[in-house]
Amino acid sequence: MNDDTVIARRQNVDGSGHGPSRSGNLLSWLSDAMSEWRRRSTWVDHVMLGLRIALLIIVVAGLTRSLTSNEYSARDWASFAVFGLTLGSIYALVSLGYTMVYGVLRMINFAHGDVFTTGAFGGLIVAGPFIESGSTVGLIGVLVAGASTSAAIAVLIERVAYRAFSRSGSPAPLICAIGASFVLQYTIRGLFGTGSRAYPDVAALNGAISLGIVQIPLVQLFVIAAALLAMAVLHVIVQHTTLGTSMRAVAEDREAAALMGINSDRVVTLTFMVGGTMAGVAGVLYALVFKQIHAFMGFTLGVKGFAAAVLGGIGNIPGAMAGGFLLGLSESFGPAALLSGFGIPAPYQLKDAIAYGLLVMILIFRPRGIFGERLSVKRM
Amino acid sequence: MASLAMIKHPAAIVALALLTALPARAETKGPVTDDNGVVEIPEGEPLMIGSFLALTGADAALGIDARRGIEIALDRVGATYKGHPIEISFEDETCSPEGGQTAATRLASNDQLVAILGPSCSGAARAGVPILWQHKFPVVGVGPTSPTLTDPARGPDFVGFVRVSFNDNATGKFAASYALKGAKTAATLHDGSTYGQQIVRTFEAEFKAQGGTIVAEEAVGPTDTDLRPVLTRIGTKKPDLLFAPLYVAAGAYLVRQREEVDGLKNTKLLATDPIMAPAFMTAAGKAAVDVKMVGIDFRPETLGPAYQKFVETYKSKYGEAPIAGFHAYGYDALGVLMAAIDKVAVEKDGELFIGRDALNKAIHATAGYEGLTGKLTCDHLGDCASPVYAVWQFTSGDAASYSLGTNPKRVD
Repeated sequence: MNDDTVIARRQNVDGSGHGPSRSGNLLSWLSDAMSEWRRRSTWVDHVMLGLRIALLIIVVAGLTRSLTSNEYSARDWASFAVFGLTLGSIYALVSLGYTMVYGVLRMINFAHGDVFTTGAFGGLIVAGPFIESGSTVGLIGVLVAGASTSAAIAVLIERVAYRAFSRSGSPAPLICAIGASFVLQYTIRGLFGTGSRAYPDVAALNGAISLGIVQIPLVQLFVIAAALLAMAVLHVIVQHTTLGTSMRAVAEDREAAALMGINSDRVVTLTFMVGGTMAGVAGVLYALVFKQIHAFMGFTLGVKGFAAAVLGGIGNIPGAMAGGFLLGLSESFGPAALLSGFGIPAPYQLKDAIAYGLLVMILIFRPRGIFGERLSVKRM
Repeated sequence: MASLAMIKHPAAIVALALLTALPARAETKGPVTDDNGVVEIPEGEPLMIGSFLALTGADAALGIDARRGIEIALDRVGATYKGHPIEISFEDETCSPEGGQTAATRLASNDQLVAILGPSCSGAARAGVPILWQHKFPVVGVGPTSPTLTDPARGPDFVGFVRVSFNDNATGKFAASYALKGAKTAATLHDGSTYGQQIVRTFEAEFKAQGGTIVAEEAVGPTDTDLRPVLTRIGTKKPDLLFAPLYVAAGAYLVRQREEVDGLKNTKLLATDPIMAPAFMTAAGKAAVDVKMVGIDFRPETLGPAYQKFVETYKSKYGEAPIAGFHAYGYDALGVLMAAIDKVAVEKDGELFIGRDALNKAIHATAGYEGLTGKLTCDHLGDCASPVYAVWQFTSGDAASYSLGTNPKRVD
């Protein structure tokens, strides 16, 4: 048993089982609950409570101060929301790969960020001729190319580097994942060089449309829509197909699933494939928005995707999506809404600090992430 | 503190004594005695020089351009000195403090190196030069421009450092004066690098001194890709001009994304010379067009016929026009170093002896050296250049059309 199960248990103890309906009077229930909590709690709980209250005060103070300073117009806030959603949808797609692999194998696939990079580069190879044709079909071609590259690489990594160790119960697959990450980075570096490559401009995605007060560049709208579509497809696969059912079964109990006639190796391969596809789509969408891609970009994005997965509750698919969007939004809103309220100079330099601060905060309040781990009802 | 008596073994005491004696080791080899040690080069053996430059990554053009300058300068002296072939070993500093540290550590492991040329970037200099000075290697800076490197308060680690590249105190002032011609309010944006922070500081000081107003001082992280939130924030202040001394990657994100930010529609952009490279145009595409940068005035009429001849040599040797604005510094750095070596090297029976302290003093004493970038005279703090600045502007986003003079063309 590890620390966070202890914390989770404690939360269950003080959080549930005391509905107001039971004790009738709300006030007496509150004082009951208070004395009960005081009796059961340890100094760790007191520190955690203090921490939570301090954090809440800081966040609320920062928010009110920025919002009352009236520095930004409604249009600015709307723009922040669009930027956050664009970045968030990419984080969400990446975090799905982490979460699915964790759900099925209980392993963090640290090479996933670089699987994302291979998708961007895979798309780039076909992007030139396709995009220059100017057609929307070309764009889909690039997406397909990126997605299939990433899917193939993800499956290959699983087969070569992880499968042999998957039942050993040692940290070996984790180390293999880090190794695979380096192999991918330096392979891309060898093939494409260390400099940045640029995606060509897509004629169909130039321009912007006005939505109320805010002008949204078409490319961002496309990215958000494509990401949502990909996630919807994934949801259907996981919840309403035989493959999804067997994935969930393997996630719950691999041995029992095998006894029921599910080929768990095949399910694992397919999980990597689906996760890789999402990463590949994310890679191409990222490249369409930011244009510059380079061999080492997967590292930062992978960490962000992993953070998003943890934020939502690792192993939980809706959690990963929500975590991704939350992380993206907090990066775009955070500096303006929180830090500028305290008069901190150059708040955007601290964008990542906000994102990871949010991660720490959520884990303080909910150690299992926002949605908790759901793919894995039965713990190992 | 533990007393010396605790160390029982005599060998340990001897070792301790040796260690404490190390900093002031006067060394004598052959006819030369030098406080910082002597490099002895036997007959027929090469004269070895180290160099660390930004050779990979988004800013590789800065270092590769400088390396080509060094190589042309090497060709000019026939790659030999008094019968000893000159060998230069290049390391990659990746335009980052970590890279500078790694490259400097690798160079420092070779005690046959006479001196070091480089680095390209101020952050790498900040991290790397102190390591090299621990081994008493003089360093001739090829690209770093941060004022702190030659500031009176720079500290003893930088005693061995001079640079042929300019000092951003002057760049910031020039940029501010130019900005004030068309702007009353300005915002600044840097990436937290040693270079960016310093030049922004000098720009702001001068801009305010001349009556302008700084309405926003912002910064991003060096690996940030989404600059639109910070640009939106700058846009709320509606500055006439945005001064953004960024490197290639962040610079390209900036020029692409500023078009998506409403508040910046009427804001002019002024950047600096790290983005004066084809790599920037590849990354920025059409958004590179009309971007203005402050850099050295590379026009032949300013730099004279020697520079014109150099560019011809460059083109015939590498099959393209100079790819960044650092080639001339590479060329001059080797020139200054060889002139200083010539002053202090002592020859005896075909062997060459070079005192490190003497060499460092000779480099610092450089006066009136006729370089490609003008007359170089080093002051006691290590600044050698007397730069003439210009404002350049890209006329096309096609990286293949990069050519100093037409794209980017000089506009002021």
